[in-house]
Amino acid sequence: MAHVRRPGNRKNVKKGFQFTLMVVGASGLGRTTFINTLCDAEVVPKRECDEPEMAHIEEGIKIKPYTVELDEDGIKISLTVVDTPGFGDMIDNEYCFQEILGYLEQQYDDILSEESRIKRNRRFRDNRVHALLYFIAPTGHSLREIDIELMKRLSPRINVIPVIGKSDTLTPGELADFKKRVMEDIAHHKIPIYNFPYDPEEDDDETVEENSELRSLLPFALIGCEEEVTVNGRKVRGRQYPWGIVEVDNPQHCDFVKLRYALLSSHFQDLKEITHDYLYENYRTEKLSRITDSASDNDSNEEDEHSRLKEEQFKKEEGKLKEIEDRVQRELKEKQQELWSKEQQLMSLEAAQVQVQ
Amino acid sequence: MVSTQAGAGIGIANLPNQRHAIASKKGSNYTILLCGESGLGKTTFINTLFTTAIKTPKSYKRRFNNNTAEKTVEIEIIRAELEEKQFGVKLSVVDTPGFGDYTNNRDSWMPIIDFIDDQHESYMRQDQQPQRQELSDMRVHCCLYFIRPTGHTLKPLDIEVMKRLGTRVNLIPVIAKADTLTPTDLHKFKKRILEVIAAQNIQCYTFPLESDDESSTKRNMNIMAAMPFSVIGSTDDVLTSDGRTVKGRQYSWGVAEVENEDHCDFKKLRQLLIRTHMLDLIHSTEETHYENYRRSQMETRKIGEAKVKTVTNPKWKEEEEALRKRFTEQVRLEENRFRSWEQQLIAERDRLNKDLEAEHSHIKALEAELESMQVGLSPKTRK
Repeated sequence: MAHVRRPGNRKNVKKGFQFTLMVVGASGLGRTTFINTLCDAEVVPKRECDEPEMAHIEEGIKIKPYTVELDEDGIKISLTVVDTPGFGDMIDNEYCFQEILGYLEQQYDDILSEESRIKRNRRFRDNRVHALLYFIAPTGHSLREIDIELMKRLSPRINVIPVIGKSDTLTPGELADFKKRVMEDIAHHKIPIYNFPYDPEEDDDETVEENSELRSLLPFALIGCEEEVTVNGRKVRGRQYPWGIVEVDNPQHCDFVKLRYALLSSHFQDLKEITHDYLYENYRTEKLSRITDSASDNDSNEEDEHSRLKEEQFKKEEGKLKEIEDRVQRELKEKQQELWSKEQQLMSLEAAQVQVQ
Repeated sequence: MVSTQAGAGIGIANLPNQRHAIASKKGSNYTILLCGESGLGKTTFINTLFTTAIKTPKSYKRRFNNNTAEKTVEIEIIRAELEEKQFGVKLSVVDTPGFGDYTNNRDSWMPIIDFIDDQHESYMRQDQQPQRQELSDMRVHCCLYFIRPTGHTLKPLDIEVMKRLGTRVNLIPVIAKADTLTPTDLHKFKKRILEVIAAQNIQCYTFPLESDDESSTKRNMNIMAAMPFSVIGSTDDVLTSDGRTVKGRQYSWGVAEVENEDHCDFKKLRQLLIRTHMLDLIHSTEETHYENYRRSQMETRKIGEAKVKTVTNPKWKEEEEALRKRFTEQVRLEENRFRSWEQQLIAERDRLNKDLEAEHSHIKALEAELESMQVGLSPKTRK
């Protein structure tokens, strides 16, 4: 996927930008906390746990968008974060994939129909999702089947960025090994994630260096925390354990700061462009060619329902046609008889006439 | 009841010592089942518990050769013989790789449940044999269920499996990788898990708290209060900030120690599993769970009859799905056939109609001709 970054891409417009980010991952991996840490505010309310008696009931996945106004170094960003609570919690999670894919394609469909309108609405809000952060469980081994399946299915429609949730459970050595194995898995299964593409010949050195550094950090190790603790007299965001304090904003402890910068400052333009120029175009091509190919195709569901009815209809029509055929044959015969008798008459009349003359 | 007076005595009180001699010579069987998703530290925990590499860590090279289409839960048994102060234990560790790892985990607990029941079954049959000296006893004495440290609550999958396990084996819930939870989070999490366990009627392992001496009772209550146990596993020796060398995990922000009671409940769990309650675990398996199984089987079966195997097999479900797909495919083909047939019939009908029309008009023309001829004829005949 070749994408050339135009130099001097960072506009400094006062109007502000819009960016939509989707966050997907099993519950308990720090997704909600991450969103709140990213926006530095309680955007997503903490999960209230249901009654213990209802804990065995499987709730499906829910898709919840939240919009926040952020200010990054003077640039205003209207950030929409789409949370997906309930993902991976059920015993059978096949349905979750469909839900998310349906939501993403719905946004594309809206844009498609809007573009095809005669009179377009200038205030139309673009709800396409520009990036998806997928939270991998910090098992320390390698990717699980559900991880591979999800990334494979969603990457044709959206920029997928894998991240490791609750990475404070891994020691530095384990983290490095885990990252390596995850990237090996991704390469092995040929999953097209967003890996900060750059062109060593075309782009300038700064861009190349920046992108290759970010690429080497994939998947990003994240820790989320909303509380503040005191370390050496400073107040920092961090988690306090009996054996030490983990700081969110410390690049030695996790990759949160780098990811935040990439998402909200340096690479969001790139992500938006890829979404619009490449992913959306692909979807559009696929969808339109599907429509023209099968113009007479009925809905497969309806087919299954009506097949029996149609069979009966056919039988009836067949009977009717047979009847019509018989009747036609009979009428033909009759008419032929009539014709013949009339011919006879004619001949006798002619004969009589000849005789008379 | 006659009690002998103090003094020499006849030696009845020596019976426990004799028992002790016999027991130490015989050794013991101990089977632990580890249940939980992959990556929760089960292997590391076992190695830490017995301070020896019982199970080798997972090999990553083979993961690309794995045919993931199978999607079943395997049962892996590792045997080891441990000896301490001339007392030997035949340890068996049963692992369940693949549990909870797939997209669809329905019925993934069947292999585990079947395994536990099969051990009871096999012991029962051996017991009924004429020769029953050499019994191989693989009955599971305790099941450690590793819970993912989400900090929220138990997942529906956890609840389903724990319900089934609790009635068959001594179930001990364990919070894995507890070094990801702060003390307050951990406390809330434990409370919530206990609430769910109570509300869902999951039977966990309990043991008699009352004991002869005060300190044992207190210790027992301590252990009970810490359920579910939070564990951190590590076989590496690391250096803490105050110079001690301990088993622990070294982070950039500190060292989490395995044997530190403030950091995790590993010590309590080890006491439970080995130091104080190993015998109770073995006994309760033999007396309660095995007897339950035996009773339920004997009520319905005669001696010597084979066990009725249930027909539900998750693999067959997949075949069912494939068949169903083929069926819908066939229906669609038939439908297309009907459609083309309909087209044909319609074309046929149109053709016949057209012929009919043609014949009609032909007849009409002839009639008209006839009429005109008749008309032409009659004036002539009138001449």
